[in-house]
Amino acid sequence: MEALYAIAVGVLTTCGLYLVLRGRTFPVIMGLTLLSHGVNLFLFASGRLALAAPAVIGESARPTDPLPQALVLTAIVISFAMTAFVVVLALRAAVELRSDHVDGVDPEEDWRP
Amino acid sequence: MMLLSIVALPLLGALVTPLVSRRSTAMLPTLLAGAIGLAVVSILLSQAMDVLAGTVLIEHYPWLPGIGLSPAFRLDALGLFFALIIAGMGILITLYAHFYFAGKHGAVRFHSLMLAFMGAMLGIVTSENLLFMLVFWEMTSLVSFVLIGFHQDERPARRGARMTLVITGGGGLALMAGVLLIGNSVGSFRLSDILAPEAALTADPLYPWMLGLVLIGAMTKSAQFPFHLWLPNAMTAPTPVSAYLHSATMVKAGIFLLARLNPALGDTEAWLYSISTAGMATLLTGAFIAMFKHDTKELLAYSTVSHLGLITLLMGLSTRMAMVAALFHLLNHALFKAPLFMMAGAVQKATGTRDMRRINGLWRTLPALAVISAIAAASMAGLPLLGGYLSKKMFFIESMNASVTPTLQWLTPALAAIAGLFSAAYSFRIFHNVFFNGKPRNLPVWPPKNPDVGIQVPPAVLALAVVLVSWHAKTVVHGLIGPVASAAEGSVLPAYDMHQLHHIGTAFFMSLAAMLGGLLLYMAREPLFRLYDQLPPADAREIFEWLMTRTGSAAERLVHGLENGSVQRYVALIILSAIVLAGPVLLSGIQWHGGETLTPIDPLTALGLVLLMATAIGTVLGHHQRLFALLLLGSAGLFVTLTFARFSAPDLALTQLSVEVMAVIIMMLALSFLPQTTPRESSRLRKGRDLSLATLGGLGVGLVSFAIMTRPQSTIAAFFLSQSKPGGGGSNVVNVILVDFRGFDTLGEITVLGIAAVAVFALTRNLQLKDRIPQERGQYWASNPHPLILRTMARPILPIALMVSAYIFLRGHNMPGGGFIAGLITAVALSLQYMAGSLAWAHGRMLTPFRPLIGLGLLLACGTGLGSLLFGEAFLSSWFGHYDLPLLGHLELATALLFDLGVFTTVVGATLLILANLGKLMTVHGPGEEIG
Amino acid sequence: MNHLPVLPILLPLLTGALLVTLPRLTLNAQRLISLGSTLAVLGLVLWLGASVLEQGRLVYALGGWAPPFGIVLVPDRLSILMLVLTASLALPAIIYACRGDDDSGSHFHALFQFQLMGLNGAFLTGDIFNLFVFFEVLLIASYALLLHGGGTARSRAGLHYVVINLIGSALFLLALGMLYGLTGTLNMADLAVRISEAPPADQPLLQAASLILLVVFGVKAALLPLLFWLPRAYTAAAAPVAALFAIMTKVGLYAMLRVFPLAFALDQPLATLTAWQWLWPLALATLALGSIGVLGATSLRNMTAYMVVVSAGTLMAIASLGSAEALAAGLFYLVHTTLLTGGFFLFADLIGRQRGSAGDYMVATAAMKDRRTLGILFFFAAVALAGLPPFSGFVSKAWLLQASLGEGVAGLYWPLLLGAGFLMLIALSRAGSKFFWRQSPERDHEMRADRVRFACVLTLVSAGLILSLTAAPLADYTRSVAAQLMAPGDYVRAVHEAGLEMTGGH
Repeated sequence: MEALYAIAVGVLTTCGLYLVLRGRTFPVIMGLTLLSHGVNLFLFASGRLALAAPAVIGESARPTDPLPQALVLTAIVISFAMTAFVVVLALRAAVELRSDHVDGVDPEEDWRP
Repeated sequence: MMLLSIVALPLLGALVTPLVSRRSTAMLPTLLAGAIGLAVVSILLSQAMDVLAGTVLIEHYPWLPGIGLSPAFRLDALGLFFALIIAGMGILITLYAHFYFAGKHGAVRFHSLMLAFMGAMLGIVTSENLLFMLVFWEMTSLVSFVLIGFHQDERPARRGARMTLVITGGGGLALMAGVLLIGNSVGSFRLSDILAPEAALTADPLYPWMLGLVLIGAMTKSAQFPFHLWLPNAMTAPTPVSAYLHSATMVKAGIFLLARLNPALGDTEAWLYSISTAGMATLLTGAFIAMFKHDTKELLAYSTVSHLGLITLLMGLSTRMAMVAALFHLLNHALFKAPLFMMAGAVQKATGTRDMRRINGLWRTLPALAVISAIAAASMAGLPLLGGYLSKKMFFIESMNASVTPTLQWLTPALAAIAGLFSAAYSFRIFHNVFFNGKPRNLPVWPPKNPDVGIQVPPAVLALAVVLVSWHAKTVVHGLIGPVASAAEGSVLPAYDMHQLHHIGTAFFMSLAAMLGGLLLYMAREPLFRLYDQLPPADAREIFEWLMTRTGSAAERLVHGLENGSVQRYVALIILSAIVLAGPVLLSGIQWHGGETLTPIDPLTALGLVLLMATAIGTVLGHHQRLFALLLLGSAGLFVTLTFARFSAPDLALTQLSVEVMAVIIMMLALSFLPQTTPRESSRLRKGRDLSLATLGGLGVGLVSFAIMTRPQSTIAAFFLSQSKPGGGGSNVVNVILVDFRGFDTLGEITVLGIAAVAVFALTRNLQLKDRIPQERGQYWASNPHPLILRTMARPILPIALMVSAYIFLRGHNMPGGGFIAGLITAVALSLQYMAGSLAWAHGRMLTPFRPLIGLGLLLACGTGLGSLLFGEAFLSSWFGHYDLPLLGHLELATALLFDLGVFTTVVGATLLILANLGKLMTVHGPGEEIG
Repeated sequence: MNHLPVLPILLPLLTGALLVTLPRLTLNAQRLISLGSTLAVLGLVLWLGASVLEQGRLVYALGGWAPPFGIVLVPDRLSILMLVLTASLALPAIIYACRGDDDSGSHFHALFQFQLMGLNGAFLTGDIFNLFVFFEVLLIASYALLLHGGGTARSRAGLHYVVINLIGSALFLLALGMLYGLTGTLNMADLAVRISEAPPADQPLLQAASLILLVVFGVKAALLPLLFWLPRAYTAAAAPVAALFAIMTKVGLYAMLRVFPLAFALDQPLATLTAWQWLWPLALATLALGSIGVLGATSLRNMTAYMVVVSAGTLMAIASLGSAEALAAGLFYLVHTTLLTGGFFLFADLIGRQRGSAGDYMVATAAMKDRRTLGILFFFAAVALAGLPPFSGFVSKAWLLQASLGEGVAGLYWPLLLGAGFLMLIALSRAGSKFFWRQSPERDHEMRADRVRFACVLTLVSAGLILSLTAAPLADYTRSVAAQLMAPGDYVRAVHEAGLEMTGGH
């Protein structure tokens, strides 16, 4: 199971990285989301995988490590906030740069007087 | 204190002058400067006897002992000699400048800068701490920069100033390095230690570096070939500046440094050859070019260059008496060059030009000046029995005693003679051309104004000094120069044998030849000028500017080539660096499987994971069709949720689910303003690059993840599991961690969310989507502002959702759930209503002060934490108790619950603020007022 | 118990929250609150500094949960240095902003306070995941601040800045996952112990984690080749924001100095860390690029941005030598460069406002109204920045050179450092003569320099003088900071003892 899980993490990361390297804002944002999925799963796995052992007192004999879950939860929220922000920023950039390319139409404009 | 005051007085004066001076009292700055000059001189003279007798005064003021940077002053014969020249000349220049500026605006600036310069110069020559001397050294460069640029509106002035700064400043940096090397080798920056024989720097392996760097410093300052270029260009400065900085003092700083460090660095082959070569080259270049300059000041500048070369050469020769000759000539040069500059200035004032082809026969109008110049020029030319003649003869003698290799034995004197010949020539020229040589030709000012007497007094005094020094040469050489030279050599020299100066020998004939030759050369000037004009014109200033501009634009091109504004490249670089850095260590014989037994694969989970990968890959493949890709992305998130749920993380699953919904909604909204498709624009090569980067990255992450999962684990988790109930009062450990054990993280996390929301508000506030991007390539832009998917899944959810979230919130502490999830669910529900209908619909039904909601949430969470301070507990310390309440039944009340309420509020507020403002954009011409 | 450590985080947070809660507040009220809070923060960190100087290091366990289980704040001498520096940079920046920049968008002051909170938190925390959280706080705040005022240049630079930092955050989480997965702890002191005791089989993974952290911090600290986002971002940002950003690159450096010596070099000399060995060449390259950039800059702000790069390179290079003396010299330089570059961002803006359409681009225009005063100030600021005497730049340069001499790397470091100074001298003299000497004939600009803005610039520039006058005590302090950094064992012990105290010894 660990192997498969690891592969999944790897695939998510790969897809995320590939999309992040695209030239248009929207794919980049999707890439960032995939990347954060991958990273969250990775972080989650740092507490090892356990089936049917939620970290709730009295639920299971050997509850899993709750700390990574808390960390991932924080990470999820933060990446949500970031996604929301970057989405809106992308919108604004698209309007102001007259293009949804990450570098705008012409990276050199308003660079010199 | 006394030595400090020598330096401090002028510097203070520099600060005071502009403050006290009014335009009306033109006299005040002059008086102030003069008084300070006199004070310094009298302090120096009061010590002169003892110092010349060999005592060395030292004052030390600790400042930064840690790095050896402490002001310390030292007055020995050498320092005294230079200090007297600097201060004495300063007084005369001040007087001269008073008439030169004649109360014109700028006089105050000049005087204050003059004083600053004088202070810095005195600092150089009286410094005991070599590192601290650099402070003064650079100061002189800076002041001269400002003074050369005195006439800011003239382009040559600006360029000359910058050229000077670049060359001397650069030299200063080299000198700094050299000094640091010396100090490091000696273990102290104090001259007493450096000059002590124990220092033995010449034996140090780094000696060549020390010498080289110090030399660069000295040569740039003293305008030695090839750094001499700045000096002629510095002539754009007002004449008093040229006379003072660029002939009498600043340019002597380099020579002073050589004399100063001579005992420590001198007496080596390297020293001899490097310095004497530089000196010789400078001597010849200067002398040659000077002859052909038609501008009086430029001629004098080049002559200064050549004389500095001569002195440097003598320093290099390092024969026993060379130092005497050098210092004596330095004195003479100061005495005869300054009055000539003053003359040039006066003549320019009188005639309005400095061009010797036009200025002629001024002896009628300026007889006094003619006499003065005659004396000075004669001394410069080396006419018999004048100071210049004596020191030059000393030079010839030393050049013959020079202990160079036999092959060069004859060369030095020969070149020396040639140089002497040229210097004689241009000396004749500047005098004869200006005062005789027929009538003036169309002068700008005609008839020439008679300059006031005052302006002629300083040069007169100097001319008198020339005569006196020549008259009492023996006394001067033995009484003054001798001790000074001894101080410079670091060992007592025998008295210089003055008789050899009067006896008829090779040296005599050399000077004679030089003189007559010079005369002939001057006679034959006309054809020579024509010849010279044939030479290709090379204006150093132009070349320098060109160089500067080119390097500038080259730098610009290079930098913009690297930093080309393409974020794709930057991101690629970051990923690449991560791979390059982390990759090797991972490959270095790591064993991936950590040894733990793997959990068996169950089909359901496997299926989920496979689908997760499939959706992810699908998103990539389909990313050109954005809506489709987005849906796949959403489902990927769904499978992540399932994975969490499967691996016993219910809280994560709930959170991920609600976040996912929200994120997808937001992206969908955004998509309705963005192109629906992504153009296929990246080249095959680019794709290959990205794919390989991504694969490598993914591979690494996957492998590492596997390696970690299969390794035995020892964590601090046990504590949380055991403390959750007794300490945190909750059985859902994850939630207890979030609101209690690590509540501080959560506080930060909701702050992030809050800030993000506020930021979104700020971003969308004045965003006008009505001027959204025009249609490109047909169906490039979305036409439908209300995505259908949203309208369908809407209203019935609200009431259910609200109940659910209330329930989840309350149970959160013990069962999966909690403020965050509850908040998101509420927000989702409300926002769905919001998306479904138009803005107006939502406005009618719900409150929209979202920002206060965010703020209050944060305040509540923070306040809960602060509450514990009242009980003397640490921030965020929790408290809880169990109660039976009507309706709700048994309930546990914990401060954590309050904190969680804060979380809930913030989340609701933030999420809705984001959505509301995105939604506002839906109506293509957004609603006037801001939402939230 | 002494709650001082947490207050520099809470105060700006509460202020920010308050400002968000009352969105209808008049601008002047906002300014008053924001100013007051910033001033109070300065007071607080100084007060905190006093008690840190007494005890050397405080350990504040949040929620009363003993380390390593709970989150601890561990203000020590380095933290204090950074905190005081931040506060004393923030104050002039915010005052400058109050002259109008804060009006060109919404919620400037709230965002500014949140930014402060993030910075202070990052400097105080002793928990590595908490460090991540505060990084995110200061980042999201900086995103918003960078975009404050709008405009194409900002949108583009902002987009780049955000995307790059999001990737940085992902990497950070990755590294954290590795660290927790292998050591099972997050408290830095505990982490240090567990890493030093980690089985050899885990070493490569831990090293990889440290290298990823280097990338993460390198992105923030402007380490080549991760710095290309910086110049345009800093050039585009509104002046007060850019001024505050002068500290942002230093956060990356701080994180390096905080994490590497402690967590990874507990049982081995810092200089032998793989990450630290990478730092040296990269930092030198950064320094070189920065100084070329300074020469090639087309506007004064752009030049200043590259000066930030230069200082980053200088700092990381000297830090990578890993000796106490080198660190001390570096920290001294850090204070100098942060305040002066910060001030210079404001200065560039002040000049730009006077020159009409030409702004701070390096073209000749009509004379500025009060070019005399500005010119003199520019002269001194330039002298201080180029590292010429008698200002702090000279002192720190002399010290940097000497400190590096001991390490036998002078052959590379000296030419680059001195060369950077030389190129700066050229660039600054060119800029100066363009701005203040060369005037095109047309009528003078009527615009006068705003007195308050001028005062802010003056304050920051005069730091160059003040720092060199107070160099001796400051140098002693940075030495003590370096000494503390070089003795991570004490840090671990302090946290451990605090833990024992709270759990009653068992």
